[in-house]
Amino acid sequence: MPVWLREYSWRQSPSAVYLSLPVRGLRVTPGSIFCTEQYLKVSIPPFLFEAILYAPIDDTNSTAKIGNEVIFFTLYKKEAAMWDSLTLANANKEKLQCLRENAVLRAHEKAKEETEAKKVTKQEHKKYALEATMKLEEAERKRIEDLKEKERQKVTRDLELWKKQQDAEKQKRAQKEVELHQEVEQLKEKKKEKMNKTRIPTEETSKTRLKTTRGHGSYSMFSENLKEEQLPAPRAAATIKINFTSRVFPTALRESRVAEEEEWLRKQAEARRTISADLSELEDLKEEEKNPDWLKDKGNKMFVTGDYLGAVNVYNLAVRLNNKLPLLYLNRAACHLKLRNLHKAIEDSSKALELLTPPVPDNENARVKAYVRRGTAFCQLELYMEGLQDYEAALKIDPKNKTIEEDAVKIRHLIQGTTQDS
Amino acid sequence: KIEKPKSIKCGTFGATSLQQRYLATGDFGGNLNIWNLEAPEIPVYSVKGHKEIINSIDGVGGLGIGEGAPEIVTGSRDGTVKVWDPRQKETPVANMEPVQGESKRDCWTVAFGNAYNQEERVVCAGYDNGDIKLFDLKTMSLRWETNIKNGVCSVEFDRKDVNMNKLVATSLEGKFHVFDMRTQHPTKGFASVSEKAQKSTIWQVRPLPQNRDIFMTSGGAGSLHLWKYEYPAQRSKKDSEGAEMGVAGSVSLLQNVTLSTQPISSLDWSPDKKGLCVCGAFDQTVRVLIVTKLNKV
Repeated sequence: MPVWLREYSWRQSPSAVYLSLPVRGLRVTPGSIFCTEQYLKVSIPPFLFEAILYAPIDDTNSTAKIGNEVIFFTLYKKEAAMWDSLTLANANKEKLQCLRENAVLRAHEKAKEETEAKKVTKQEHKKYALEATMKLEEAERKRIEDLKEKERQKVTRDLELWKKQQDAEKQKRAQKEVELHQEVEQLKEKKKEKMNKTRIPTEETSKTRLKTTRGHGSYSMFSENLKEEQLPAPRAAATIKINFTSRVFPTALRESRVAEEEEWLRKQAEARRTISADLSELEDLKEEEKNPDWLKDKGNKMFVTGDYLGAVNVYNLAVRLNNKLPLLYLNRAACHLKLRNLHKAIEDSSKALELLTPPVPDNENARVKAYVRRGTAFCQLELYMEGLQDYEAALKIDPKNKTIEEDAVKIRHLIQGTTQDS
Repeated sequence: KIEKPKSIKCGTFGATSLQQRYLATGDFGGNLNIWNLEAPEIPVYSVKGHKEIINSIDGVGGLGIGEGAPEIVTGSRDGTVKVWDPRQKETPVANMEPVQGESKRDCWTVAFGNAYNQEERVVCAGYDNGDIKLFDLKTMSLRWETNIKNGVCSVEFDRKDVNMNKLVATSLEGKFHVFDMRTQHPTKGFASVSEKAQKSTIWQVRPLPQNRDIFMTSGGAGSLHLWKYEYPAQRSKKDSEGAEMGVAGSVSLLQNVTLSTQPISSLDWSPDKKGLCVCGAFDQTVRVLIVTKLNKV
């Protein structure tokens, strides 16, 4: 149960009510005062003071001054009239309750409205600030554009001037040439006429060459010496022998590819060196039959003549000797294709592709072949999607190959045909 | 408009006099021809100089610049660099070829330099394996070589007709190197500074004729970059053995612009108007540009 504060004193003027409420020893904060149009409450737990005002007041402008041990309220009346008393007299409990609730509701609404209004103003401020900065930036940009435009115009004007200058100079030069020519003619005639011992101090040359230096023309007048340029004789022919920094690949050197290329070269070198575990049968073989390269050639020859089984055998032996040479697997895959051992063909092509990493321009050819062979095998097994993937990979490496392109198109049609039927 | 049977790869006016204005071209078949553009049916000079395409050509001694005999140098995919004199038919004046048995590398670019008097000449050649070789024509020997780790697309001296001052070499992978050519160290060669400009190949470099410290590079991404070279406080210093060693300066980017999505493969400055330049790109356009404020650089 709150403790009611009942000691208060008040006086009034036509427009305002002055209420003074002693709060001895109590800490009053602005939060403890709650005021609406017709209801005033001061709550400092456990103390409570409330008043249902006689008439409505303007609660926004009314003030409360918290001084030592007293709160002084200045309440401005909505209607200028004299109140009979501070509070409404016959206020029973229910009415009080109602009024209180109303008051609280109204206060809430007001608070909400206030926050809304604040938000709106904040938005507007932000927008304004943004617009202001945008305008500034626009102005800056425009200034730079203007500068550039001016510069551009100036330069075009200069260029035009310069062009005209050049034309004028050309004309002048042409004129001078004509004049010089005429003078030459005249002097020639004079010489013929004179025929005396004293020669004209200058030498006549068969051609009058105008020597122009960079920038402006210096016109040698006829009276000056015109010497033909003494060019040195052509050099004595000679050869200089040079050496190049070595490079294995025929393509140009690029720093970013160096790492990959080194890896590929290293792999190739290793592949040559590995000789897999000895097998007792190997001792029966002749020397040359132990060389995987020789075996590869033999296999190739058999493939060409059509002896596919024989070729497969030879490649098998070669692989046992050295299982790191990708070309062996590649060629064996081709044989298997011809023999319609499709799964084996796929295996061998895949193994070849594995060994053909990293991808460098050097092993492009091999990779294209591997993809094509594997693709063919897939298609013959009716696994068209996988086949198409491989064909497209091959096409990516070598986009210019027409046969691959045509085959890829065929496969696509096949796929579309089967999906339509099912 | 004139058409010839074989595609032409490169050309230069560098070796002709200002009146004659003959164009020297190298074509895809390895032929070097010099044409009089007023009578283009028959070349003034023609020789099947190389077995494969002539990648690059340069001329010196003409246009009123420099002294000495007019000469043309061609670099070809067959790995040789040959110097021709238009007055001597059929045989080159100098031939830089690989030693017997050596596998050949593509020569991608050639340039003349150091032509400050009648005898001195130097040819610089860049190859696809990153080699740069400097040949001295007066002594007919290899003067210097180095490898810049990327195929060399273009070499240019900052001026052909002075004691060789700077050499810019551009390469694949967006790098270029500027060599200070005034001081050659017996083992270390020339000092250089290198810069990575863009991710793509730098196809061409051309120094501004009016100011040899400014040069423009054109890139595979269709962009042009304008650079300025600043000399160091001291261009040469002594190393531990007392031999003179060059000191490279620094390069700073002045401006760049992207003109096209295709590589800009060739570029040239006008010798008359400072800042006027023309460039040709793979998108089949020729663009004329003007660079302003070069006086204030």
